[in-house]
Amino acid sequence: MKRAGVIIAVLVRTAGRGLQASPLPSALASATIAIALILVGAFALVVGNMEGLIERFSKQLQVVVYLDTDLSTTAQHELLLRVGELPGVDHASLVTRDEALERFRATLGGGELLAGLEHNPLPPSLEVELLPGSRTEQGITAIVSTIEGFAGVDELAHGQQWLAGYARIASLARMAGFVFGAVLVGAALLIVANTIRLAVYVREDEIEILSLVGAGRVFQRGPFILEGLAEGAVGGLVALGVLYGGFLIFLPRLEFGLALMVGSSPPQFFAMGQAVAFVAIAALLGGAGSALALLGWRR
Amino acid sequence: MSRRGRRESVPGGDAAVRTYHLSKSYLAGQYALHDLTLEVKKGEFVFLTGSSGAGKTTLLKTLFAAERPSEGQVLVLGRNVGRLSEPGIAALRRRVGVVFQDFKLLTRRTIEENVRLALDVVGTPRREATAKVFQRLKQVGLHHRRYHEPLALSGGEQQRVALARALANDPEILLADEPTGNLDPELTIEIMDLIVGASLRGTTVIVATHDWSLIERYAKRTLRLEGGRLVEDARAGTPA
Repeated sequence: MKRAGVIIAVLVRTAGRGLQASPLPSALASATIAIALILVGAFALVVGNMEGLIERFSKQLQVVVYLDTDLSTTAQHELLLRVGELPGVDHASLVTRDEALERFRATLGGGELLAGLEHNPLPPSLEVELLPGSRTEQGITAIVSTIEGFAGVDELAHGQQWLAGYARIASLARMAGFVFGAVLVGAALLIVANTIRLAVYVREDEIEILSLVGAGRVFQRGPFILEGLAEGAVGGLVALGVLYGGFLIFLPRLEFGLALMVGSSPPQFFAMGQAVAFVAIAALLGGAGSALALLGWRR
Repeated sequence: MSRRGRRESVPGGDAAVRTYHLSKSYLAGQYALHDLTLEVKKGEFVFLTGSSGAGKTTLLKTLFAAERPSEGQVLVLGRNVGRLSEPGIAALRRRVGVVFQDFKLLTRRTIEENVRLALDVVGTPRREATAKVFQRLKQVGLHHRRYHEPLALSGGEQQRVALARALANDPEILLADEPTGNLDPELTIEIMDLIVGASLRGTTVIVATHDWSLIERYAKRTLRLEGGRLVEDARAGTPA
């Protein structure tokens, strides 16, 4: 255990010395990772916020069934029971004409505008809450088409079409993010690999001497992997900082566009766990670049 | 012991090095070493001599597993070099110190750091390593210059540092390839005395040299190679 600790300390020291010896290539590798991750992170933020909105809207998604105005109270209750028992429906509640008018009045902030109204023009309606599994395009379509066939139903309203369109945009953005991200991450990986390969060439004498005194694979390759991890972590931290800065500075200016894309709820930055994962992924990216550089390299 | 370990390990008896019909060729039909059978006992001091291209360096390289035999077998400390895996080679090299004509020191590291390398790779704790490095540098008379970089030292001093590094881990075998090739006669004796000192402490020593004055001065067993073949094995005290 003590021996392992000593070896780790030596590897870290050697990696530190390596980074110190070639600050420019190391900075270049970190900058490349940072640039790639800023773009990928920006995509992730937009898509994450869009998906968050979809999730929130999905939870609130309900079908409103407007009934014929002259439908009897008994018939309204019969329909309520039938709809409530449909598969995929969590529960349904009846909003009478009076309740609907009351809500409308409350929405308008008082009754002055409705003062001259001679009779209540609003129909009774059923508010149908769906089970989580049915809050999908297919689930809603099935329920809606069943309810449309019931006698006494005048019209149905639901956000399914809007939600489906929005989900398609989010999915498209996610896919673009993946493709774009994969290209950028691939490019970053190659640049890190080349930086480390350069470091391997520069320090070939050192590696040869290490090999002569009995250094194994870990001693010869370990410092380079650690250097890659460090370069990646630095790149990740820089990217996170830039993204957060951008989030704070540019968000107010993009409010209108963002409102269109992510709705009225305020956009969220990465949570702490996500931020840690972001930097960890960046470090792994650097480590993977180093491993790629050392692949097939043999003394 | 692992199966691989068993396969690589061969009872060596009192031999530090054994070769059986060892041949090494880089091009078909052209041998750097040809049908070499020899034995060096533990604690023995051996000169390896011959003209340039005789195969001295190739033999030493084979002994520390920098080259694999093309034919035959090489046993070093009971390990079959031809069958060693990468970790096996590293493990063997921790038991074999090597000194080269061109010193092979890291010019951007201090003398102390250069010697410490050999202790770092075996995981020697820092304090223990510092004490050991000081002791080895004192042995070669360079402890007062331990914070200097190699290029600030003379050739003889650099070779003493290389020797201190090779001996840092108390190796069972010390291989020296023309260790005095770049040094003037006075420094040559200085380095050779240090190498002989290591031999007196029980280390098996094989020194490749074409300097006959050294061979005559120290009167040790001498193996002479020509064209990759062993042409003479003169025991200590007998004329080579």
